[in-house]
Amino acid sequence: MYGRKACELVKEFASVGKGQLTQYNSDLFEQVVAECSQHHLELQSLIRKMQEEGLDVQTARNADHYGALIHHLSLVRNKRCLMAYVNNRAEIIRSLLWKIGSVLPKEIEEKFSHTEEEYFNKYSGELKKYMSKMELDLTVDMVPPKDPYIKVRVLDDIGDGIVLSDKTANFARHSIHFLKRTDAEQFISRGLMEELTG
Amino acid sequence: MAKYYDIDDIITEEEIVSVIFQKPASGVGIDPSSETDFIETGSKVELPFWLAHELQLRQAVSVHVPPCFNQKTRLEIQADSASVDLRSRCPFFYEFGCKIAPIVSDRTIGFLLLSAFKSRYKEILTKAHTTAFAAGSKFWTILTKEEISLYEAAQAAMVSFKKWRRGGPRFQIASILARKRKSTD
Repeated sequence: MYGRKACELVKEFASVGKGQLTQYNSDLFEQVVAECSQHHLELQSLIRKMQEEGLDVQTARNADHYGALIHHLSLVRNKRCLMAYVNNRAEIIRSLLWKIGSVLPKEIEEKFSHTEEEYFNKYSGELKKYMSKMELDLTVDMVPPKDPYIKVRVLDDIGDGIVLSDKTANFARHSIHFLKRTDAEQFISRGLMEELTG
Repeated sequence: MAKYYDIDDIITEEEIVSVIFQKPASGVGIDPSSETDFIETGSKVELPFWLAHELQLRQAVSVHVPPCFNQKTRLEIQADSASVDLRSRCPFFYEFGCKIAPIVSDRTIGFLLLSAFKSRYKEILTKAHTTAFAAGSKFWTILTKEEISLYEAAQAAMVSFKKWRRGGPRFQIASILARKRKSTD
């Protein structure tokens, strides 16, 4: 059936939870693009046939017209599926930058296609440029803190080479620190630290 | 075209409906029972909704009521709407119903959708607030996509209400990473 592969592509995207990414399926994507070209060729040959028979392509309503119509509709449908696939992925990729930061875990980065990787890096670059021009960090928490410092526990070995804005420390696993909120945020959202309360 | 990029909308429109061609069409391979690539007037073909709908607008086909809105389903919904397995009939039962209703001759689909949704909605909300069903339990398997998101919304609202009352850390690991980490522990 026409448009089946394109829908498979979309279903694959929908098969994981909201906000999650699947591996970019370039193979299936190419197959759908090829199907589009095939529809285009058949559409053209039907139109040509009508012209050769001396019919007015605009008004004639013969079998060839409806054949061409079906090919046209299938092409438009395939295009919609491809556009939706790319667009929704791009939306997730942009949200990753806001949720996790410019350094992504390997298991997520692997799922990008080459162009998506480029897109992410450029988007991240543009955001950084904008923020430095405005002299404002837009990625920090939107709610004003009651206390500029929070207590955190380190969950993973993140090494001691990290320089924070006001001090350096050895962030060994399970150690507990008192950090500036703005410094700690990115580590928490990446799952390397957790906030301690009470 | 507000829903042009909407994934659920695209999947809904892939539902199969059976149509009868009112006009012949040539050069297309959409009828598996036909040996040539020519479709005669009067042939019965199963088409995805997106194609059937556009052809119907141009009076090229007439559309039959899809099996998920047949008499059997109606009777089951009348008997005990909450335990009807709508998911296996069509995961987008309501959305698909809204799309199909204007193009078929049957005028009762709207009423069917409304009464089914009203009675099932009550049941879903009650269950969402009282019990936590594990994903994959029997209760889940009969809900449509719309009903599942309602159920999840109800539960999420409850969770964030409890969190607000209790207080707790403001910062948490990004939700996209959280699930993965748990599975590796």
